Amino acid sequence: MNKQKKKGISYAKWGYIFILPFFIAYISFTLIPQLMTFYNSLFENYRNGLTQIGPNFVGLQNFVKLFTPDKSGTIGMLKYFGNTMVLWLMGAVPQVLVALLLAVFFTSYRLNIKGQQFFKTVIYMPNLIMASAFSMLFFTLFSPVGPVNQVLLSSGMVDKAIDFLGMKISVRVLISLMNFLMWFGNTTILLMAGIQGIDQSMFEAAEIDGATSLQVFMKVTLPLLAPILVYTIITAMIGGLQMFDVPQVLTNGKGTPNRASMTMVMYLNNFLQTSKNYGMAGAVSVVLFIVSAVLSLFVYNTLSKQYKK
Amino acid sequence: MKKVLALALALCMVFTLCAISASAEEGKVFNIYAWNEEFKGFFEKYYEVPEGVTVNWIITPSDNGAYQQKLDEALLNQANANDDDKVDLFLAEADYILKYVDSEYTQDITALGVTDFSNAYTYTVQAASDAAGVVKGVSFQCCPSALIYRRSIAEDVLGTSDPAEVQAKLDSWDKFNAVAADAKAKGYYMTASFAETYRVFSNNASSPWVDEEGNLQFDPQIEAWIDQTDEFIQNGYTLTAGVWDDEKNAQMFADGKTMCFFGPAWYFNFCMGNAQDPEKGCSGDWAIIEGPAAHFWGGTWLLAPAGSDNPTMLADVMNTFINNEDVCTALVANEAQFSNNIAVNAKFAEDPDYGSAFLGGQNDVAIFSGMTNNIVWENHTIYDQLLNEGLQNALQDYYKGNVDKDSAMQNFYNYVNETYPAIVTP
Amino acid sequence: MNNSENVKGRVHMIVARTVVYIILIFLAILCLFSFYMLIINSTRSNAQLQGGFAILPREHFLDNLKNAWNDASINIPRGMLNSFFIAACSAILTTYFSALTAYGIHVYNFKLKKPAFLFIMAVMMIPPQVSAVGFIQLMYKLKLTNNYIPLILPSIAAPVVFFYMKQYLESVLPLEMVEAARIDGSGEFRIFNQIVLPIMKPAIAVQMIFSFVSSWNNYFIPALLLDKAEMKTVPIMIAQLRSADYSKFDMGKVYMFILLAILPVLIVYIFLSKSIIKGVTAGSVKG
Repeated sequence: MNKQKKKGISYAKWGYIFILPFFIAYISFTLIPQLMTFYNSLFENYRNGLTQIGPNFVGLQNFVKLFTPDKSGTIGMLKYFGNTMVLWLMGAVPQVLVALLLAVFFTSYRLNIKGQQFFKTVIYMPNLIMASAFSMLFFTLFSPVGPVNQVLLSSGMVDKAIDFLGMKISVRVLISLMNFLMWFGNTTILLMAGIQGIDQSMFEAAEIDGATSLQVFMKVTLPLLAPILVYTIITAMIGGLQMFDVPQVLTNGKGTPNRASMTMVMYLNNFLQTSKNYGMAGAVSVVLFIVSAVLSLFVYNTLSKQYKK
Repeated sequence: MKKVLALALALCMVFTLCAISASAEEGKVFNIYAWNEEFKGFFEKYYEVPEGVTVNWIITPSDNGAYQQKLDEALLNQANANDDDKVDLFLAEADYILKYVDSEYTQDITALGVTDFSNAYTYTVQAASDAAGVVKGVSFQCCPSALIYRRSIAEDVLGTSDPAEVQAKLDSWDKFNAVAADAKAKGYYMTASFAETYRVFSNNASSPWVDEEGNLQFDPQIEAWIDQTDEFIQNGYTLTAGVWDDEKNAQMFADGKTMCFFGPAWYFNFCMGNAQDPEKGCSGDWAIIEGPAAHFWGGTWLLAPAGSDNPTMLADVMNTFINNEDVCTALVANEAQFSNNIAVNAKFAEDPDYGSAFLGGQNDVAIFSGMTNNIVWENHTIYDQLLNEGLQNALQDYYKGNVDKDSAMQNFYNYVNETYPAIVTP
Repeated sequence: MNNSENVKGRVHMIVARTVVYIILIFLAILCLFSFYMLIINSTRSNAQLQGGFAILPREHFLDNLKNAWNDASINIPRGMLNSFFIAACSAILTTYFSALTAYGIHVYNFKLKKPAFLFIMAVMMIPPQVSAVGFIQLMYKLKLTNNYIPLILPSIAAPVVFFYMKQYLESVLPLEMVEAARIDGSGEFRIFNQIVLPIMKPAIAVQMIFSFVSSWNNYFIPALLLDKAEMKTVPIMIAQLRSADYSKFDMGKVYMFILLAILPVLIVYIFLSKSIIKGVTAGSVKG
C-alpha cells in the first residue's frame, strides 16, 4: 500500500468504458458500410437496369477515370471541387463572421440587447425548414415569372425578366445566401454557448483594467473561444464540402448553368442515383475524404497553434 | 342407386373443398408497390378484393429515385422474402417500364390468365412486352398526346379555330414551322418551352438511343428536333423555359401569347390549372388535334412480378382494369381518364352529348381514339427516360446562351457516363 | 473630465446599439421572409398557387388545414408523433453518448486515446451519402426495415457532436475539478452524470436542438427503410404529397404540411433555448 501504488490507480479502464458505446454503434452502423464504400472503389460494380455488373477488381482504374479530362479538356472532379470551394467560401465566410459578431452582441453586458430571445429564435428559424422546402421557396421566388422579377419589371428597373436560375453568378449567390441563412443562426448559437462557457471573471477583470470592447474581444474572447471557433470552422468546412441538398433542389440536380453549381456530392450522387455505381462513387468518396482530411488538419493545426501561443 | 348418388355427392364435395383450399392457398397479403396514390384510388373504388386478402400498399414517392430504389431492392429480394412480404403487383411508368419488362423479375401474364388484349391499344401491350414478345403487364390508361391550341390565337394566326381546318394547316413539321413564323409576325409564340415538341419527335424515332455495341447514337428524329429548336430559339418562336417551368405555365393564362401546347388527357385535365383559373384563365378557348405526328406521353402500367404468391388475384386485377366494361366506363366518365379499352372509348367517342367544357365542347375521347392507331412503341431502351431528360437539360443551357453547343453536348456526354457506365459516348 | 468621458462613452454606446439593432432587424427580416412566404402560401388554394406569387394571404388557410389534417392516406398527426419519437430518442442518445465519449477522451489517459480521437476526427469527414447506400443494404440483410432501430441507435455515434463536446470540455472543464470529486470519493460515472453533465448543460441543450432538428427533417434514409403507413415520418409524408398524382396534387396542402412540420421543432427550440440561458446563469452565479 505504498504511495506509488495509490497514485498509480489506473483510470485507463474508464476511458475505454466511456468510449465503448460510441465505437460499438459507429462500427456496426457506419464503419462497415463505409469500409464497403472504400473497398468498392477498386471494383467495377454497378447496375445496368436490374442487371448487376461486377464486382470485378479493376485496381485504380476508377481513379484514373475520375482524373481523365473529357474532350473539352475539363477534369470533372477538379471542376466540381472548385465549384464546391467557391460556393462554400461565399456562404461560410459571412456565416462565421456574422455569427461571431452576433454572438458577441448577444453576450455583451454593455450592449445589453433587448428582445434577445426573439432575435435568437428568429435567426435560427431558417434551419428548421427542410432544405428541400427552403430551396423550393427560393426557386419560385426567383423564377422568371416569380415575385422578384415581377417587382423588378413593374418598377421599370429591368425591361426583360432576369433569369436568376440560369446565370452562373446569380445561381451561386442564391445558393450561398441560402446556406448562409440556414446556418448562421446555428453557428451563432454554438459560439454563444462557447462564450457563455468562458469564466465571467475574465471579462470583469479585463473591464476593470480598462480594456476597450475590441481589446476584450481580441485578448479575452477570441483566445478562450478558440476551441469552439475551430470547431465551427471545421464543421462549416465539412458541411461545405458535403454541400448537396440546396444546389440539388435549386438546380434540379443539374448544377446549372454549365455544371457551374455542381458540387462534389452532387457528382457522387450522379453515380449512385441510377446505376448504383459503387465503384465510381467509392472513388469519389475516397477523394472527398482525402480532401476533407487534409483541409481539416490544416485548419485545426494552424488555428490551434495560433491561439495556444 | 342412392349410394352411388351419395358417393358422387361426396366426391363432388371433396373436389369442391380441394378447389377452395387450392385457391385459399394463395397469399393472405397482396402487396402493391406504387409511387403515388392515383391507382390506389381507382383500385379501392372499382376493384372488389377477395375475402380474406389484405391489400398492402407500399407507396414510396419517386423523389430522388427512391421509388425505383425501393422496388429494386424488393424485387431482387423477392426469392428470399416471406410470402406476406412478396411483391404481388407493381406500377411502372412508360419512361422506365422496359427496365422491368426486359428482366427476369417480371412474369408472363398470359400464363396467369390475362389473355384477352383485343380491347387494349396495341402500343400499351407492346410497351409491356419483352424482346421475345412475352407480355408482362397491362396499362389501365392510354395516353395519346395531342396538340392543344388556343382557339382565339389560331383564329388570329390561321384565320380559323376549327379543329379539322387547324389540323390541315399543322399536319406536318414543315407546315408547323411555317405557321410558327406567321405566329411570330402577329406577336405570338408557337410554343412556350424549347422542349415542347421533343416527345413528338423522340416517340417516332427509327432507331434506339443505344446500338447493339452499346454506343450512344442520335436518331434523325432527335437531330430534327435539335434543328427545329435551333431555328425556333433563333427566331424567337419559343421561350427557353423547360416543359414544367412556371414561365411556361404562365403562358396558359388568358393573357398568354402562346398558341400550341402538347399533352394527353391528363395534361389538360390536371396540369393546365392556369388555363382553368376562373379569373385569369381561358377555359373553353382550347381545342385538341393530332398535330404533326402521333405520339404518347406517360401512362402507368401494372406489372406482374415473378414469384408473386397471389397469381389469381393478380390476373384478376389486370383483367378488371382492361376488360371490365363497367370499370373502364367509370374511369372515363368519373375520373377523366382515356381508358385502355377500345370498345368503351368508342362508346364515348360516338356519344354526341359527350364533350369537354375546357375544350369548348370538343369530344376529346373521339379525337384521342382517332390518334391511337398511329402511335408506335418501338426502338425503346431501358435508358430512354434519363437520356431524353439529360439531352434537354444540357441543351437548355445552350439555348439560354450560357454555353456553346459543343460544351452543351460534352455536358450531356458526361452526364451519360455518370448515369449509365455501360453506354459508350462519342 | 471624467464626466465628459462618460458622456462620450454614452454617445458611443447609443450609436453602437443603434447599429447593432439595425443589423439584427435586417437579419431577422431576411430570416422571417421565407416563413412569411410559407404562411402566405399555406392560405392559398392550389389554383392560386399555380397562378404565381402573392404578397397577401388568401382565404384558404382553414381548407388547407382541414385537408392536410384529415387526408385519408396521409395521417399527419401520426407522422408527427412518429417523427417526434425518433427525433427525441436520437437527440437524447446523441448528446448523452457524445458527451460521455468526449469526457472519456478528454479526462482519461489510456493507450488508445490519441488513435481513438484521430479516428473519430477522420471519420467525421466522410460524407454521410457515402455510407448511406451500404447502410440500407445492411439493414435489408438484417431485416431491420420498418423498424425504428436503424433510425435511432446509430445516433449514439455522432462524430460531429462528439467533437463539439470535446471542444467545449476543453474550454470549460478544469481537470482539478474531477480530481477534487475523486478525493470526495465519487465514482467515475457519478462524477460524469452529476458534476460534468450539469456543467455541459448549454452545450447539451445546443446539440440536442440541432440533432432533434436534423433527425426531424431527415428524409432519405427513413424513406428507404419505412414503408408501413403507420410508421412513416413527416418528411416522407411531405414528399408523398409532392409526388401525389396529378389529379390530387395540391400545393396548398404541401405548404400547410411544411408549416405543421416546423411547429413542433420551433416549440422544442424555444423550450431548449431557455435552458441554455438557465445553464449559463447558473454557471455565472458560481463564477
